[in-house]
Amino acid sequence: MELIKDINKKVLDWLDERYDARQWIRENLTEKLVHKHINWLYCFGGLSFLGFLLQIGTGIFLMMYYIPTPKDALASVQNIANNVPFGWLFQRLHSIGANVVNLLVMFHMLRVLYHGAYKKPREFQWVSGVFLLLITMAMSFTGYLLPWTQLSYWGATIGTEMPGATPIIGEWLVQLIRGSAQITGITLTRFYAIHAVVLPLTLIAFLGIHFLMIRKVGISGPM
Amino acid sequence: MSISIKTGKNASDSKRGFLKLLFLSVMAASFGGVVYPIIRYLSPVSQQQAAEKIEILKDELPPGKAKFFTYKGNPAVVIHTKSGFTALSAVCTHLGCIVKWLEDKNELQCPCHAGRFDAAGRVISGPPPNPLPQIAVTESGVKIVIG
Repeated sequence: MELIKDINKKVLDWLDERYDARQWIRENLTEKLVHKHINWLYCFGGLSFLGFLLQIGTGIFLMMYYIPTPKDALASVQNIANNVPFGWLFQRLHSIGANVVNLLVMFHMLRVLYHGAYKKPREFQWVSGVFLLLITMAMSFTGYLLPWTQLSYWGATIGTEMPGATPIIGEWLVQLIRGSAQITGITLTRFYAIHAVVLPLTLIAFLGIHFLMIRKVGISGPM
Repeated sequence: MSISIKTGKNASDSKRGFLKLLFLSVMAASFGGVVYPIIRYLSPVSQQQAAEKIEILKDELPPGKAKFFTYKGNPAVVIHTKSGFTALSAVCTHLGCIVKWLEDKNELQCPCHAGRFDAAGRVISGPPPNPLPQIAVTESGVKIVIG
């Protein structure tokens, strides 16, 4: 016990000397001042972020066994869920967690809406938040195709059909998203790349803006 | 109450000590509960124990030919030589590349550093320090059984 304390102190001293670590921790974590009216409703943003981190973690684990080809996709997901030790846990955490994250994001948005927290000076907080919502939903949509089940396939068919209603470029847009006239293996690998690389990076960029702005402006005051 | 966990000088210290212990135990259990599934998930696929004996039809292996297969999770080769069937590990004893069978030269060659082995697994030339380990082969009717 004493040894841990000692090591802890030495590490913090070392960091203090270079980066003012203790002061940074005091200002940003332990003695950070927030409004008195803060309550549990204000947790949804943070919980959404926590959910996102969990999705990243479980997603990386799933990538280690998932095979993004029409022939192997379903079998590899079934292998994860049935054979790989604790695969069921990570697979379900990821698929159920996706729904939970969507719910949390919606609750967060409703809270902000109800409290009018989107008003000046937090307009861009709202705008970046709407982008985050859209990216979260795009994540869910692209992830839904990956197990390559009947539901995935027809869900993706319907979802990618919708941009077809766009005037003039509609048909072209549909085929751009699909990478082919119908949903094929090309769509699968395309969605996989978007789901696992493009959207997470975009999401992190928007999260960065979202967080930096709220640090600068502060959480909204009482109603 | 006769619970006596003495970690401090007085009652309040021992209560604090107990709570601290409790807290740390819960933390350790939670940590373990997260780490254990992850380690199990990432640990290598268990090597198939059931298929320790491998059967190959003699018809599949005419004289002079070799057939590669997986034996206890590692690559192995069975060769139909003049003197019968020989089964060897196909992992080169130099740096672990997989050897190939050269039918016209009647030898095994490693593609990485040109180690050469004869059909019995003995080193002919090149850097391999040891011969290829032999695997037992028995003939039974139309089949050969390896392992």
